[in-house]
Amino acid sequence: MAEKDSNKIHHLLWMLNELSSPYGDCDQKLASYFLQALFCKATDSGHRCYKTLISIAEKSHSFDSIRKLILKFQEVSPWTTFGHVASNGAMLEALEGEPKLHIIDISNTLCTQWPTFLEALATRNDDTPHLKLTIVVTTSIVKSVMKEIAPRMEKFARLMGVPFEFNVMSGLNRLGELTKESLGVKEDEAVAVNCIGALRRVDVEERKGIVQMIKSLRPKVVTIVEEEADFSSLRNDFVDCFEECLRFYTIYFDMLEESFPPTSNEKLMLEKECSRSIVRVLACDDEIDHGGYSERREKGTQWSQRLQESCFSPVSYSEDVVDDVKALLKRYRAGWSLSIPTTDDSGIYLRWKDQPVIWGSVWKP
Amino acid sequence: MNDSSSGKPSAKKKRNLPGMPDPDAEVIALSPKTLMATNRFICEICSKGFQRDQNLQLHRRGHNLPWKLKQRSSKDIKKRVYVCPEPSCVHHDPSRALGDLTGIKKHFCRKHGEKKWKCDKCSKKYAVQSDWKAHLKICGTKEYKCDCGTLFSRRDSFITHRAFCDALAEETAKVQTPAAPCSDDEDPKVEGEAPPEVLPPPPPPPAPAPPLPPAALVSSVLPVQSPEFRETPSPRAPHILDESPAISNSNSSSNGSSSSNVFASLFASTTSEPMSLGLAMNQGSSIFAQDRRQYAQAPQPAMSATALLQKAAQMGPTASNASLLRGLGIMSSSSSSSQQIEPEGASLAAGLGLGLGLTRDGGSGLKELMLGTPSVFGPKHTTTLDLLGLGMAASGGSSGGLSALMTSINSALDVGEFGNKDMR
Repeated sequence: MAEKDSNKIHHLLWMLNELSSPYGDCDQKLASYFLQALFCKATDSGHRCYKTLISIAEKSHSFDSIRKLILKFQEVSPWTTFGHVASNGAMLEALEGEPKLHIIDISNTLCTQWPTFLEALATRNDDTPHLKLTIVVTTSIVKSVMKEIAPRMEKFARLMGVPFEFNVMSGLNRLGELTKESLGVKEDEAVAVNCIGALRRVDVEERKGIVQMIKSLRPKVVTIVEEEADFSSLRNDFVDCFEECLRFYTIYFDMLEESFPPTSNEKLMLEKECSRSIVRVLACDDEIDHGGYSERREKGTQWSQRLQESCFSPVSYSEDVVDDVKALLKRYRAGWSLSIPTTDDSGIYLRWKDQPVIWGSVWKP
Repeated sequence: MNDSSSGKPSAKKKRNLPGMPDPDAEVIALSPKTLMATNRFICEICSKGFQRDQNLQLHRRGHNLPWKLKQRSSKDIKKRVYVCPEPSCVHHDPSRALGDLTGIKKHFCRKHGEKKWKCDKCSKKYAVQSDWKAHLKICGTKEYKCDCGTLFSRRDSFITHRAFCDALAEETAKVQTPAAPCSDDEDPKVEGEAPPEVLPPPPPPPAPAPPLPPAALVSSVLPVQSPEFRETPSPRAPHILDESPAISNSNSSSNGSSSSNVFASLFASTTSEPMSLGLAMNQGSSIFAQDRRQYAQAPQPAMSATALLQKAAQMGPTASNASLLRGLGIMSSSSSSSQQIEPEGASLAAGLGLGLGLTRDGGSGLKELMLGTPSVFGPKHTTTLDLLGLGMAASGGSSGGLSALMTSINSALDVGEFGNKDMR
């Protein structure tokens, strides 16, 4: 395809079409979704296809379906909970003893991280601090359900007895538009910035800017969790990028396959999400704005380099937090493990069958 | 015996009146080091250590070594009380000293010591080894049950679910809604119709017009209701409130908001049978919970000993008593209610699958035709997973705190009942 041999492309796509099915085994599914992306690439229709997929997703998702999907995913796989536990633990420790907390969450993760955090705050030995939680929402699907989530969070915080202020900033289309002023950080607040799968949504060129902006907030702690794949440095070489993409999603689909029962709607929905990302990564031109959905993942080492260039220094997870994460992984099926690089202290990795898949890290300016 | 946790002092005071020691008692202030020093008295034969000389002497008897127990005459017996060495602690003040050495040791460990005993399963930490051992025995044996019926073996899953569950979100609406027809949970075909004027639907879609088949079912089936439940008609606003407007939307699906679209498309294409089945179940179970609350039966503490509910119990009548009580009520209910939930989850899952398939068909030229089909098989699996709960449970308090916990729950129940009467 890189050689633009249309006959060969035609032939290969035809063969792939014969082999693929979104309802087959892992390989067939992957073939199907990658075929979709290849087809878009060949016909230069990636952008249109991507927009269609997004609007389908927006139409077919309701609060109920998303809630069910996310909670079920958390039940069967630590893919998301790993980041929640690690980040919550790090934040709780970094903010200990502070009377007024301000957590800025740019994760677009529907607040599923916060109930356990609130509970931990409430059951701590010291006085329960005041918590201001500012949720920055940029993706349209999340925007549509935040009005359902906000009252739930407020209610839950009240139930837990945590003095709580909940703000949702949904006016932005891209994280790059976020400014220090709009966040309303006050002098006496201890600030934490929580970025779970957030930075990859930022356009590659804007990443430095957003890291600088976070730094200007003078946070006590910044928690960053990202999926371990490199769709960024390879993006100009289609074949390499394709291979990396295939590598990553092969692991992901394998994980889904083993985590969910054979016929699961939740699994299907998660796979559809991947199909969007695959089209986005392989068949869409980065020049066109896609409304806050850049999918250019970077690996932990690449993020670390970015952060260190902006004068952030890594903070190791405490032994307690690592223990919490280990305990978390024990609750899921075999195949999950934790790897802690000994060379430096910038982050820990969640591994599926010995392949690092999620990178979690803590930073301070 | 978490001395400082609120909600517990009332129970404690009855027991040993901490902080009001005998004025004649000798106040002992030990340094943290002495207090934490374990096994200062070592047996020279087997190297076993003891905290007190008396214990070592008793032990020496077993080795046939010379031993000497101090014989104290009655006039020697002087009551001793112990203060906590931590200056910021309330028990540092001699007037709040504790009556026995073990007590002050455990207090000092728990409140000011390092929690070095950690549960492998749930990573909960303890400063006192015996607390940890007690926890190990029960860790993973407890289940958490939301009043929506879902069971959890893990505390964190339960907490997250609880925050997002409609059962919590709809509390305010529920306690304010007047009595409405309710259905017996024994008959899955029953469909109760919620009066439209009391609907407080979070996303308000237009034109509430419940579909005919369920309404017809209602009229024929309502008399089946259990008389026991009729005695105390309870306010309710079950999940149907969210969904019935979405049903009505099916007739005009083009203007449906994204939040109701899933249900809309489901109903546009299939009979309402599976859905109404689910709703009826759902409703049955929440009625059940309500009535349990009315009768305010004593909950089983083993099932309800979660920090979450404890916390709720301490909140007083202003916050969400009702939610707590409903939670406790359903927890003490029979296992049959967990089965009722199955169809709910099932129909919801099916709804999602079908809805998705339909929208996608219309929306794009992609090969999504098959999408709806697997969902037919989906429900069984998802619900099975739900009920099994997966993995291990997190823990509640140690067994020592159980009585105190029960007291706090009971008092909360009282408050709740009181609040309830007020509302009616």
